[in-house]
Amino acid sequence: MRISLNWLRKYIDIQISPNDLADRLTMIGFEVENIEHLGAKYDRFVVGEVFEVQKHPNADKLTVCKVGIGTEVLQIVCGAPNVKPFQKVAVGLTGARIPHNQHDPDAKPFFLSQAKIRGVDSYGMICSAFELGIGDDKNGILELAKNAKPGLPLADYLGINDTILEVGITPNRPDAMSHIGIAREIGALLEQKVNTPSTKVKESKKGIGKYASVRVEDKQNCPRYTARVILGVKIASSPEWLKESLNAIGIRPINNVVDITNYVLMECGHPLHAFDYDKLDGHTIVVRLARKNEFFTTLDHKNRELRDDILMVCDAAHPVAIAGIMGGENSEISESTVNVFLESAYFRPQSIRKSAKYFGLSTDASQRFERGADPSITPWAVDRAARLIQDICGGEILRGKIDSYPKKISPRKITLRVGKTNEVLGIRLSAKRISSLLNKLNIEVLKSNSKGISNKSLTFRIPTFRPDIEREIDLIEEVARLHGYNNIETKNFATIQFSEGVPKEDITDIIRKELTGFGMREVVANSMQQKSVASLASDKIVEIANPISKDMSSLRTSLIPGMLSIIRHNIYHGTKNLRLFEIGRVYFHAPGSVDAKMVEGYTEDEHLLLTFTGVAQPLAWDQKPRFVDVFDVKGELQSLFDKISLDKIKYIPYPNTKALTENGLIIEINGEYVGSLGSVRREILDRFEVEQDVFIAELRLDVLSKHVKTIRRDFRALPKYPAVRRDLAVVLDSRVPVGGLEEKIWQSGQPLLTDLELFDIYIGDQIPSGKKSCAFALEFLSEDHTLAQEEVDDVIQNIIDQTSRSFGAEIRK
Amino acid sequence: MTEKIQELRRLASMEIAAVQDLEDLDNFRIKFLARKGFIAELFDELRSIPSEDRPSSGKALNELRLFVQTLFDQRKRQLGSGSTKRKEMLDLTLPGRARWVGSQHPLTQTLDEIKRIFFRMGFSIATGPEIEDDYHNFEALNFPPDHPARDMQDTFFISEKILLRTHTSPVQIRVMENQQPPVRVIIPGRVYRNETISSRSYCLFHQVEGLYVDKGVSFSELKGTLVTFARQFYGSDLKYRFRPSYFPFTEPSAEMDITCFLCKGRGCRVCKMTGWLEILGCGMVDPNVYKFVGYDPEQYTGYAFGMGIERITMLRYGIDDIRILFENDVRFLRQFS
Repeated sequence: MRISLNWLRKYIDIQISPNDLADRLTMIGFEVENIEHLGAKYDRFVVGEVFEVQKHPNADKLTVCKVGIGTEVLQIVCGAPNVKPFQKVAVGLTGARIPHNQHDPDAKPFFLSQAKIRGVDSYGMICSAFELGIGDDKNGILELAKNAKPGLPLADYLGINDTILEVGITPNRPDAMSHIGIAREIGALLEQKVNTPSTKVKESKKGIGKYASVRVEDKQNCPRYTARVILGVKIASSPEWLKESLNAIGIRPINNVVDITNYVLMECGHPLHAFDYDKLDGHTIVVRLARKNEFFTTLDHKNRELRDDILMVCDAAHPVAIAGIMGGENSEISESTVNVFLESAYFRPQSIRKSAKYFGLSTDASQRFERGADPSITPWAVDRAARLIQDICGGEILRGKIDSYPKKISPRKITLRVGKTNEVLGIRLSAKRISSLLNKLNIEVLKSNSKGISNKSLTFRIPTFRPDIEREIDLIEEVARLHGYNNIETKNFATIQFSEGVPKEDITDIIRKELTGFGMREVVANSMQQKSVASLASDKIVEIANPISKDMSSLRTSLIPGMLSIIRHNIYHGTKNLRLFEIGRVYFHAPGSVDAKMVEGYTEDEHLLLTFTGVAQPLAWDQKPRFVDVFDVKGELQSLFDKISLDKIKYIPYPNTKALTENGLIIEINGEYVGSLGSVRREILDRFEVEQDVFIAELRLDVLSKHVKTIRRDFRALPKYPAVRRDLAVVLDSRVPVGGLEEKIWQSGQPLLTDLELFDIYIGDQIPSGKKSCAFALEFLSEDHTLAQEEVDDVIQNIIDQTSRSFGAEIRK
Repeated sequence: MTEKIQELRRLASMEIAAVQDLEDLDNFRIKFLARKGFIAELFDELRSIPSEDRPSSGKALNELRLFVQTLFDQRKRQLGSGSTKRKEMLDLTLPGRARWVGSQHPLTQTLDEIKRIFFRMGFSIATGPEIEDDYHNFEALNFPPDHPARDMQDTFFISEKILLRTHTSPVQIRVMENQQPPVRVIIPGRVYRNETISSRSYCLFHQVEGLYVDKGVSFSELKGTLVTFARQFYGSDLKYRFRPSYFPFTEPSAEMDITCFLCKGRGCRVCKMTGWLEILGCGMVDPNVYKFVGYDPEQYTGYAFGMGIERITMLRYGIDDIRILFENDVRFLRQFS
């Protein structure tokens, strides 16, 4: 909220500097986000006096002026028709920021520089009201008063010396959304009194009872409705001081009556509404809920459909305002208004909040009512506005006011325990100190109760303008705020409860470190994407009801599409060899699923995605580049599994293409599906505009971590007897998968075979066509004796027999 | 004879040193070891010396032959393996064979460091779902239905009562629902806000939340914990301040500022000329929250705090556009290797 220092000074004497004030407000919870010196925008503007006006030698419509600015005389080329000698004018000097360029269709600001205009030097600019941003007149320069002193800064001449504080007000403090509200806080800070203006009104002899009536049908949502009627006002533009006050805080002046209601709103924080009395059917106000299928046109000329839980202010026949939010076109103050009905009501916050949300409207009034206005202030506010109307617009204030307030809202009484206060804050304040702190905020102590020194408590009366203080803890906060958060000791020791459980290792941290060690880079991608993209991997999509855009209307069901976008981006920017990984969640709509850790009907899985594209190794001067293939993925994955002690891994070829990948394997651990690896399908790559092949493995981290052995490993003694190594090459049909052959060798070599490594596959002239030769390095070891050659020969023979029987393999001679 | 043997030994030693290639070596062999070589000549001479001197001279001559043969063999091995000529051509300015270099995402690195500091202070990790219900994200955190405080966080909805969490705080509720005090956890995770994407805000970001509930926990201890964190993270000479603020689930609530480390408090664009940088929000857990999770607010007090990992990362590295964190351009990632 914009708070004007000049305005504040009407209620409190402020001797400290704006910066100091801003700092101190910030430290009691009113963060000053910006300080704006209004005069600063006229930094390079001064009052000038035109000495001489001559025709421009090269342009008919221009003149060359000599303008005195106190210390020197400037030559300025001017285009205005009304420039005359001995005028006092507003001069922008070189470097000045002209608020509006009147030759620009958007009237954008520009910086003035020394210029040559049609061959004549110009050292400044004589400005129009429009260019200065203080009026609409573009037709000629702004003429200043005859007695204006040349050289005087323009800000001083215009009397613009105000400073505006942009104050962030948290939603719990509606009472501070006004100048008097902020003044109260400053009063507490500086221990100074706040003076509120007098609201004494001169009433006419005519009683209001004969002129108007109010009937509140919904007393729950409208606990208080106060009103006054003023007859015979003259609607006009507001006096300068009022317009300036509103302009300074960013409110556009409209007419005197409306401006006064806005002024009182910004003064005391209570929203008012002025109706044209003569347009109220029956001169009656009825506060009731809207009817079904009722329509209403608000002040902003929008015709709105009402809902039957919306609180409306109506006359005898029709709605005339959406209660607490916005008035209606049908009863607004216009130039022809003569009599005014002034509303000052208190509406229930929840009701206004509901309406504001329904209409998607947030107004100065709704913001205050929905946060909680002050039910006690309605008579003060209506009197204050009536008085100002009478002073400014004339007219007579009818005697008395209407005040429908069937159930008085009394100030709360809250008891505060001194011990609890000190315990929560970690300080030691006395009861006396606490009362005096709260007293500064008009929170008065009612009584002091003492059950022994340690059980002392105080009961306070909370002013009705503080809806946020409902409980003891809220009072404790006020104590802390006024005591100063920075005066609370920073206790730098703590008691820690030891946990006796074995700490669970975070598998994602381990994996992340390993993959980084494997030369892979981690990415973090957006989890929101187009529905058509999310549906590539699953149809159980979670859709967002109110997405930012269609491009982000669903949650991802796989990490692959997001990664492909990243790959495309990088290839486009020149990096073609990529080894990337992501650890992130995927989301599914799973009606009926119940998991205590999730919201019913939805599941979230943590996935790990490894991606490879481009060459397999960094380019080297003596090696031919090799492009990555599926075995790079399988190899890296196997290294990772070894690292996290995963075994019982099974790779199962999937015959048909999966949704996103092809030529791949399904991975199982202990018989449980954990993910798959393969190459991304061409159609998918095309969709993401990636031309080169991309190989991936996507795994479910929850399954993976379930099988990781976190229990301590047992040490095994090193073998006591030497191992025997033999190479074995077998020739078999080239279509037989090596996986099965390996498994067979492994089985038939037990128990002496301890290691097996495929080191060569040969297809060519030296063996029959349609055959391949697979060469293995085998290692044999016994735990209890040195192996004899014959023993190993026997095992090898068995391997040959078995593989021959199963695959028709022959030993390669 | 003895002198001749010694002379030959000296000569062979000198000449073998001069052998540069296999051709030289062969000349050496012919000169000393061949059938007509120097050593063979001396063996011939052996016949002409007195018979009593022959055994000792013969032995010395045999030793000489062995010695020269050894010289020859050694040199041959040297030349054969890494021939001197090739050694001269080896260009050591050629680049080595490189491996790929990996890196963790800067957001992970920031989070890791935050985690490490809080682990040392006895916190453990808790996590929770990103698809949340209204109850955990708002209601149990003391945001009543139709409360203006809900406007502080623009929310993505899945359905009327299900949404994408707007902060990690709902995990506080989930932890307390399942565990009696003492609770001492940090909660990292992804959160979502329905805000227009710009250089300053993205539709999602990451937070770390902290929660400590036990008997006798005070605001004073909250300050101590966070100041310790900030000093370990940002530097031990840091200046700080706590400002009153408002969060529905803490009371009293505060925001913590530290001296802007870019301008050292003098005021710059990043700190909006205030000299201060806001780094986190915190406060004492509101007693209403305890009521929702079934803790006795008379018995227990506690504190909670939360910070944005993107904001901290951006401040730390001087990144001025949040979107670059989610673009994953390798030229960006490489800077964090």
